[in-house]
Amino acid sequence: MSDAKDKKAEPAKTPEPTLTPEQLAARRREREDHALGLGLGGVYVGWLLATARSLGFCRDEGFYFSAASSYAQWFELLFSSPGKAMQRAAIDPIWSANHEHPSLMKSLFALSYMFLGQKWKVFDDASTAYRFPSMLMMGMAIYVTYLFGARAYSRRAGVGAALALALMPRVFYHAHLACFDVPIMAMWTACIYSYWRAEAKGGLGAAVLAGVMYGLTLETKHNAWMLPAVFVPHALLVHGRAISRHASRTGRIPIPASLVMMVAIGPAVFVALWPWLWNDTLPRVQEYVNFHVNHEYYNIEFLGQTYFGPPSPKSYMPVMIAATVPTVTLVLFAVGFVGRATALAKRGVAAAMAFFERAVPSWAKAEPGTHDRLQTDALFMLSLAVPLSVFLLPRTPIFGGTKHWITAYPFIALFAGRGVDVVVTAAERALAGKLEGARRPLVAVAVFAACFLAPLDVTAHSHPFGLSAYVPFVGGTAGGADLGLNRQFWGFTTQSLAAYFQDEAPPGARVYIMDTSWPAWNRMVSEGRLRPDLRGVGSPSEADYAIVHHEQHMNEVDYNIWVELGRPAPHYVLTHDGVPIISVYKRAR
Amino acid sequence: MTLAVALKRWAFALVPLVGLVELALHWKQTRDVVPDADWLAAREGVKAELHDRDLVVFAPEWSDPLGRRFFGADIMTLGRAARPDATRFERAFEVSMRGAHSAELSRWKKVAEHRYGALTVTTLENPSFVPLKDDLVAQIGAKVVRVSRVDAAGETPCPWQHGVTQSGSTYVPQGPAVPGDKFVCQGSYVGVGVLHDLDHRPRQCIFAGTIPGATLRIRFADVAYGAVLHGHDGVQWVTDRTKAGDSVHISFKAMGQEIGHHTHKPGTGWVGFELPMRELSGQHGELVVEVSARGQGQKQFCFEADTR
Repeated sequence: MSDAKDKKAEPAKTPEPTLTPEQLAARRREREDHALGLGLGGVYVGWLLATARSLGFCRDEGFYFSAASSYAQWFELLFSSPGKAMQRAAIDPIWSANHEHPSLMKSLFALSYMFLGQKWKVFDDASTAYRFPSMLMMGMAIYVTYLFGARAYSRRAGVGAALALALMPRVFYHAHLACFDVPIMAMWTACIYSYWRAEAKGGLGAAVLAGVMYGLTLETKHNAWMLPAVFVPHALLVHGRAISRHASRTGRIPIPASLVMMVAIGPAVFVALWPWLWNDTLPRVQEYVNFHVNHEYYNIEFLGQTYFGPPSPKSYMPVMIAATVPTVTLVLFAVGFVGRATALAKRGVAAAMAFFERAVPSWAKAEPGTHDRLQTDALFMLSLAVPLSVFLLPRTPIFGGTKHWITAYPFIALFAGRGVDVVVTAAERALAGKLEGARRPLVAVAVFAACFLAPLDVTAHSHPFGLSAYVPFVGGTAGGADLGLNRQFWGFTTQSLAAYFQDEAPPGARVYIMDTSWPAWNRMVSEGRLRPDLRGVGSPSEADYAIVHHEQHMNEVDYNIWVELGRPAPHYVLTHDGVPIISVYKRAR
Repeated sequence: MTLAVALKRWAFALVPLVGLVELALHWKQTRDVVPDADWLAAREGVKAELHDRDLVVFAPEWSDPLGRRFFGADIMTLGRAARPDATRFERAFEVSMRGAHSAELSRWKKVAEHRYGALTVTTLENPSFVPLKDDLVAQIGAKVVRVSRVDAAGETPCPWQHGVTQSGSTYVPQGPAVPGDKFVCQGSYVGVGVLHDLDHRPRQCIFAGTIPGATLRIRFADVAYGAVLHGHDGVQWVTDRTKAGDSVHISFKAMGQEIGHHTHKPGTGWVGFELPMRELSGQHGELVVEVSARGQGQKQFCFEADTR
């Protein structure tokens, strides 16, 4: 009896649901996808770490290093005296540093420096500790891009998409930096992925996650404020008919839960993670908005002309994409994009006809838990179009070059991945009967190799001159210079003079650092990337060596040095593929 | 299988083919860099034939820093690198790579061509060369030039100063370097520097920024007059591109007579002018240049002139 009683007292165990072989295979496949995506991302992060020390610091990095080291002081206070850290007197002096950008990445730079740099000494260079969170973000971008491609199209498409994204020279360059461009690319993609998953899975949990992801994206960089231009049209496209039916029946407009959560949670996360906004919140949000809305224009050379204000040339974005993204990647993108756009257009026509015939349109959603491929295509196209279309507006500044629309690149890569899949399938079909059995995978290997060896070689070769490199079909670095395309900005190439100074400069030589920022110069010297006895100076008249970073609008620096030294002949010219990057002038003794 | 079917079946191959061509192009481009030895050989070739009235240019334009480095300051003088234009040169050596040519020399007559590895040195002759008689830029200095500021209070001499060049900072635009050697006037100076013109080219010239309400008078004591006075003027690029400031008036007088004048309008770049002075040709004497403007004028106005 008692046994029976005891047994009755035990909570009823939920029986393990019996999974079908298909479900088990799907789970296994999901685990494999995560492992493959993480593996691809991890290998890339390893590559970034291996090449980090040979890449100098750009101007903006210098400022973010400074801001992050300032934020680190606040985190130390937070861990030791949380009460004090929360006081305005502790917050405002520290968090007002570099408050034109949100805090997430700089906080991660600071925490990485504190723990991976100082405490656990994982990295020898403090700069690598600062940069590491950005590198991880790049790893995440590859991981999410792979998952997106694998789940939307095929595993082959996922691998192709990850490779296409990873092997873009400009992306490789920016992925090294303790800046926000690659992080916002990663977060943009991850946020869209979380929305996509929420759309498929439904449920509050997925919607809340999408809201949190949106908040983190807002907290990464201001590009996130453009994401509603992706989500709202997509939601209307997918749910528009249901929304209108529901609205006409009930008088209320049902909004997808993920969007509600983005609106509800996103701004809250944005404020909660940015201590600078904890006091005087509204005026400071206004200040932040004003900074970016009224951002000044900088000089940038395009097709031999230096632009410095509106109107910006509309051809800038397409030409720069064509000149910097490997051509084969763009061809793969075209193959993938045209195929999916055609299918989408057919669906659109069918839906329009159904609308006019008052029939049920064919936009109906796929089964719960799955994705309608065309709705996914539409999401990818919006995610691609929104960041690019901004650069067709005449008042959008163009100074940052490709990094300002870098959020579009994972979606270019996704269509390129789809393109690889199409090409491999066509190759397998053409070779059917000739390569069967164990030799059949060779087809895919050969196509992947033919498509990605050039991007790999071009990307690897571009380092550490990622902003000088142009694709072979425009003539490479020299072809870019022939076309009058910008060769660099931010002064990061200074470190590439290390060998010259090592051999040439006498002890204690004074170097005019030109476009190198002081924080960047000081860090290069303190980390032994440049000879520690070199002394940076702020004017050619004080210098033994004066450098000029070759950008068209900086020619006046070159000419001023000629006046200073009385002659126009540099002592050394740093080149990439034979194209001048920096001239070094030496004062005659 | 028809041709159409076969083409459709194998059309996919174009994509990996693009990848392989891209790879081949990359390998070629990264190995096509001009070696130092070619530059040095070209330098020796040019040096052996070079005269004072010869110009040396490098094409494409972006190779100019390399050319200046390898050819050195004895060949690449400021006069050649920061020339007002090419007309003052009798002959030019165009050192080119990648099949590029200088637009500046497009109408010159090709007389010889030598190859030095990846570099081609083309000798060209100026079809309308007229030798210079005098160059005002070369005369600037305390010995033969006097500068004064002229305003309602009268004429005030501007003393010649020998000092340190003030050039640059770590920010751009930084404006032109202020030469160490110059005449210093209240509100301006007169000295030789290098202007960054609206087209981003270097122009060695005489900086003579205007002074509101005053005229800068520059007296060149002994100039060899020619049939024409050939000159240019301009304003530092950042000011010029925004068309800021007012027009600048520059006039030239010799032997008490006005030879002519030129008005530089904001936003027009490095502008040439030619003033006839045939009746004075062959004589020597004082040349007076006056620079003035209505309103604020231009702080970074620069001119050059020669007689020929």
